[in-house]
Amino acid sequence: MNGRTGVAARAAAALGLVLFAALAGAPAGAAQEPIGTRPAPSTGTALTDPEAERLDAEAAELSAQLRCPVCRNQSILESNAELSREMQALVHERLAAGDSPEEVKSYFVSRYGEWILLEPSRRGINLLVWGLPFVALLVGGAIAIRLLRRWSTSGPGNHDASSPVDTGLSAENEMWLQEALRDG
Amino acid sequence: MRKHLTWILPLAAVPVLWLLLHGMGTDKFTLPSPLEGAAAPDFRLETMDGDTVDLADLRGKAVVLNFWASWCIPCRQEHDVLKLADRTYDPEDAVVLGVVYQDTEQNARRFLAQLGGDWTHLLDPTQRTAIDFGVYGVPETFFIGPDGQVAHKKVGPVTWDLVRPTVDSLVAAARGDGADGATAGGAR
Repeated sequence: MNGRTGVAARAAAALGLVLFAALAGAPAGAAQEPIGTRPAPSTGTALTDPEAERLDAEAAELSAQLRCPVCRNQSILESNAELSREMQALVHERLAAGDSPEEVKSYFVSRYGEWILLEPSRRGINLLVWGLPFVALLVGGAIAIRLLRRWSTSGPGNHDASSPVDTGLSAENEMWLQEALRDG
Repeated sequence: MRKHLTWILPLAAVPVLWLLLHGMGTDKFTLPSPLEGAAAPDFRLETMDGDTVDLADLRGKAVVLNFWASWCIPCRQEHDVLKLADRTYDPEDAVVLGVVYQDTEQNARRFLAQLGGDWTHLLDPTQRTAIDFGVYGVPETFFIGPDGQVAHKKVGPVTWDLVRPTVDSLVAAARGDGADGATAGGAR
């Protein structure tokens, strides 16, 4: 009985590690990559003018990075909310007036807070969001590799009394396990 | 290794549980405003009566700036509180200003005819003022001090328990620092 619960506990532990790594990775995952730029927004100017086309593309790219304050999980480019439409028009206007994309972004951040950016900026405490998933992955991976190595050395082929890992199996359970492994 | 796991896993669960518990205690729909403690964005908007209001002209007074719409149920709930605020304060000390948000003038007028409320209501057809104030829904209310700074932002319906002490302290500041308020007003 002990042996079976021991194996189950190891499997659960490994699963737990994987889940932990996945959870720790969630924040960066939630910061969506900007969705591919759509054709020029309705606020766009004549498409024949290459300068206007460049402006439309730039406005669309920037709009894809700003969160819709109403629908929250969409960018203002994707959203059909009235407020998003106005914000999109404002992005376009400001770029046309000569503001840089960074200036437009910082305007929205100054009004709505950092929250308005779909992708958090990579500085200050935000670095944790970007760095922790990799740290968790490294630590989790290292632990998983160590565990797997230990388990493999205590496998049926090379298990002996001097094995560094005590499986905790009684002789009876060990026999049962060996049989089960042999029979598949 | 198993010995380590017995404390590593519960330890790893601590920050996750803390985040979950922290999330339960906060309203995910309410966002902190970066404008609190900063200068209120200036605006010049037309009133429903055809006049123009410039926020800079109100420097030296407390301003209760309320974004509302006729289709918004919580706006109905808070309307009496705003009425009370409008009646309570001397217009020289504090003014209530409404900004009609994503609504037609006709519907806004019908709402006011039904519920009363004859303080100044502004029209923001392009929503640029709403965006300037970081509005993301209605009702949202900004308490602006005599120095033109946003003292507090309330998302959702206001209560008298909030309005009274907030406006009182801003009015006290206006009376106490009248000269400073005027200077700040002139500087902008």
